[in-house]
Amino acid sequence: MTVADAPGTTGPPLDTRRVDAREKVTGRARYAVDRVPENVAYGAWATARIGKGRVVRVDTAAAEAVPGVRLVITRFGPDELHDVGFLMAGGHAVQSLQPLRDDRIAYRGQPVALVVADSLVAATEAAQLITAEYEEEPFTVKIGAEGAETVLQEQAIPLPFLADVKVGDAEAAFAASPVQITGTYEHPAQHAMPMEPNASVVHWEGDRLIVDDTTQNANAVRFGLATQLGIDPADVEVRSPYVGGGFGQKNAMHLHLGPIAVAARRLGRPVKMVLPRPQVFHLGAFRPNTVHQVRLGANEKGELLAAIHEVDQQTSRHDLFPSEITTVSSRLYATPAFRGEQRLVRTDVQTPGFMRSPHESPSMFAFESAMDELAYATGRDPVELRLAHDTPTDPVTGLPFSGRHLAECLRRGAARFGWDARDPEPGSMTAEDGSAVGWGVAAGCYPGGIVPVVAHLSAVADGTLTVGVGGHEFGQGLRSAVALLVARDLGVPVDTVIVRAGDTRVAPQHLTAGSWGTASALPAVQAALGELREALDVPASGDVDVAAAVRATGRPAVAVEATTLAPGQSRDDLAQLDKGVLAIGGPVYPEFVTFSWAAHFVEVRIERTTRRIRVPRVVSVVDCGRVASPVTAASQVRGGVVWGIGQALREESEVDSRFGGFLNTTLEDYPVPVNLDVQQIDVDFIDEPDLRFNPAGVKGVGEICMVGVSAAIANAVHHATGRRMRRLPIRLEHVL
Amino acid sequence: MRAFSYVAPDTVDATVAALRTAPPGTRILAGGTTLYDLMKLEIETPPAVVDVHRIAELDTIDAGERELVFGAGARMADVADHPVIRTAYPGLAESLWQAASQQLRNMATVGGNLLQRTRCPYFRNGTEFPCNKRDPGSGCAAVGGHDRAHALLGGSDACIATYPGDFAVMLLAFDAVVDVTGPAGERTVPLAGLHVEPGDEPTREHVLAPDELIVRIRVPATPAGRGSTYLKIRDRESYAFALAAAAVGLTVDADGTVGDCRIGLGGVATRPWRATEAEQTLIGGPLTPQTARRAGEAAFAGARSGAENGFRIELGVRTVADALRIAGERATR
Repeated sequence: MTVADAPGTTGPPLDTRRVDAREKVTGRARYAVDRVPENVAYGAWATARIGKGRVVRVDTAAAEAVPGVRLVITRFGPDELHDVGFLMAGGHAVQSLQPLRDDRIAYRGQPVALVVADSLVAATEAAQLITAEYEEEPFTVKIGAEGAETVLQEQAIPLPFLADVKVGDAEAAFAASPVQITGTYEHPAQHAMPMEPNASVVHWEGDRLIVDDTTQNANAVRFGLATQLGIDPADVEVRSPYVGGGFGQKNAMHLHLGPIAVAARRLGRPVKMVLPRPQVFHLGAFRPNTVHQVRLGANEKGELLAAIHEVDQQTSRHDLFPSEITTVSSRLYATPAFRGEQRLVRTDVQTPGFMRSPHESPSMFAFESAMDELAYATGRDPVELRLAHDTPTDPVTGLPFSGRHLAECLRRGAARFGWDARDPEPGSMTAEDGSAVGWGVAAGCYPGGIVPVVAHLSAVADGTLTVGVGGHEFGQGLRSAVALLVARDLGVPVDTVIVRAGDTRVAPQHLTAGSWGTASALPAVQAALGELREALDVPASGDVDVAAAVRATGRPAVAVEATTLAPGQSRDDLAQLDKGVLAIGGPVYPEFVTFSWAAHFVEVRIERTTRRIRVPRVVSVVDCGRVASPVTAASQVRGGVVWGIGQALREESEVDSRFGGFLNTTLEDYPVPVNLDVQQIDVDFIDEPDLRFNPAGVKGVGEICMVGVSAAIANAVHHATGRRMRRLPIRLEHVL
Repeated sequence: MRAFSYVAPDTVDATVAALRTAPPGTRILAGGTTLYDLMKLEIETPPAVVDVHRIAELDTIDAGERELVFGAGARMADVADHPVIRTAYPGLAESLWQAASQQLRNMATVGGNLLQRTRCPYFRNGTEFPCNKRDPGSGCAAVGGHDRAHALLGGSDACIATYPGDFAVMLLAFDAVVDVTGPAGERTVPLAGLHVEPGDEPTREHVLAPDELIVRIRVPATPAGRGSTYLKIRDRESYAFALAAAAVGLTVDADGTVGDCRIGLGGVATRPWRATEAEQTLIGGPLTPQTARRAGEAAFAGARSGAENGFRIELGVRTVADALRIAGERATR
């Protein structure tokens, strides 16, 4: 598609720019971290300096002597902070282990004391003055090290969607295959580092707790705090209208919220807490280390006969962060036999969690690297081999895909990139300056989820429309997509539409993650538009003079509400949302299976002598159904590609086995790409609505755009050098 | 960060007077791009800070016929952008603009830059990590740990922390000196004698007394300036410290013979490193890919690697060879 956009009817072209761009660039947008209520006190953690063990004694005397310190808390009573539970085990928190409830230290960096003071300076200084005596215990921070404990996910978490994938007899088919590809691929631990660190401001209004938080899941904060403090969820109000980046790191309630709520109640004043960057590395989710064994069996022509994908994925000692690595590798290509096995490895770290395309990008790094190896082993072009394994039906369930335009993504991407000019021989292409040139391709898919959403829509006599909807805006463009939908539908200017999101006062706030935010919100808003048209007594389609229609009703305002569910869901699932429980539909629905699809084409250039690896251009073609908001969707894809460059060539969360915790915990030491690392990124969309999936025809874009990028880069490095890169990140020492 | 007292004298004389009466542990503050970081990390906990950032007489650049004179308070960005520096000493300009980011270079001073402290994560990231530089006698976590960025040259069993700067390496290659002043009077220290190797006393990083202030940097004019380059190889294209860097200045005679040759190594040693033996292999002979490679090998002949940093020896050799090629092209242009 072209990115130009026009309303469905007459009138000037719609303004498709990001609707809150002006607020953001002028600093008027108020993030949680910006809020400084009157008389606020500041919280700060002191953290454990051992890898594992027990706290014998915490010395708080020096901290308490710092002028301005109001509270130093080393232990909360069991009745002060109740269990909340890990998000992925039916709870609401980033992990089950709530600090300051007992003497157990599960990992380096776990808090041992909370300081609250009149100023941030005093709180920080006091926290740094806190020391502790410990009884140390042996610990393990790496997969494969002594003390790491491996469990079979299928047995440990008996949920159908986390079970081993078994299609046919893959082991037998592999053993009988004339061509066998076997590779072990390792993806390091990585941390998402949103520019807005985890930050909260809490205050009490009588028995009501008001929370300004930076979260993708205000519901988890609301119900988590209610559970933790033993209060009614109706008395917890959570506001998160702007989030300075989430990426999954803000999917659950963070561990400081309960403690500062208690402190705010004790002090009778608001308490604010912003985690310093090194603490964000130890208190939030991270992408766990994974080790993949991929085996592909094929005939001499390269036709897949079997695929086997086994993975060991790091988790914490106290929680099981489930793996969905094989959910995508089992869906990408037609193969008569597939076996996926996911194992979880307990180590002494905080509980890992979600980080943009959390399972899918590591999965595709391994699987799409193996597919490239198969292409070379059988003398087939990597694009053509992938096209030959296209399938309209889901290989796992046999159901049809609701939409799958992966082949078109590959064809169009190859044309835009100029793939035909590629000499397949590794090391055969050289740039004018002597750099080795490598061209690589990889595909990816991402599950299509939908959650129940409630949308409120009101119109007033001056023509202003206000949408209150479930879903958080963290830069991905949810607000823009909703505003554009309303403006297109009614034929009104975008700036007459106000979208309120991320606030428990306007609608139940589901966990906005997994690329289901827009695909869930738009159908609800579309249904509400239908309700509004009825309430205004206007035709079911066509432009509406909203102001006139409202005036004609004789009322000052007309308000409607609509609720939508995932295909196959019932009102029970909506009730789950009202209880703060996850109710996620998909990717397998009663009559079809839904994924988003992408193909990435990458050029790398590797310097002749000092071997720096550069990425001068990337072409990405995405099938995300209909493109709801062209500007923000293209921005999402560029961001995903940039992150894929970081994932492939830069980022690794380092651990030192002697000390535990993470070592490179600042943005200086954790190398993400800088502007100079990012050159040309060419984005294209298929833009075919997936109307079987939902009436708006939209699927997720924010996650799929990153899936496969790292594999395409690794494949390009192989093409440039002849060396197969089976571990990320790829750095110059690997190609020296 | 701990509370501290703060004074901002207007002149160098007033600074010296303030330093005379300052409590032990007082730190001189210039751009603050390193000191504030270290104070937030509580690695530096000075009771008092003397701020020299706005002293006009220190913020000077004089590109004279006989020498270049940079006031210690000149901003890195201003020196990097100076037209004479850019054309007659491109290596000096490159060593500055490849450091940090534009925002940091706008604040940071060239005097402060000379004394910036190591980025060793075990030094910076917490008291749980043994570090002889931060806590003498506690040991060195980098030895046997993640040493990918640590020093190959000039290390000891007590410390292998890399000197992170770039500018000092190029200055060393150009035989620069620094003029310092303090309550005990003025003196001149050659750059080659400014920094010290850690030995068994890693807390000591340079020869200046705590109450001495660098007032200017002087670089003798040299035709090797035009034939100079600072080649910095790092993990990303900007805002990163060097994995290996080479500071090279050359003159090449009409017959292709190398006349003057200066080679400094950055990011690979515990102090700015001059590769004198490597220089000698080239002087009086031709500059070819083979002789350049041999010079690089000579530069790293004494390198000692640990668990993860061994690749930087070969990378360093190639970086020196590439820098020699670039400098040679400039010298003969």
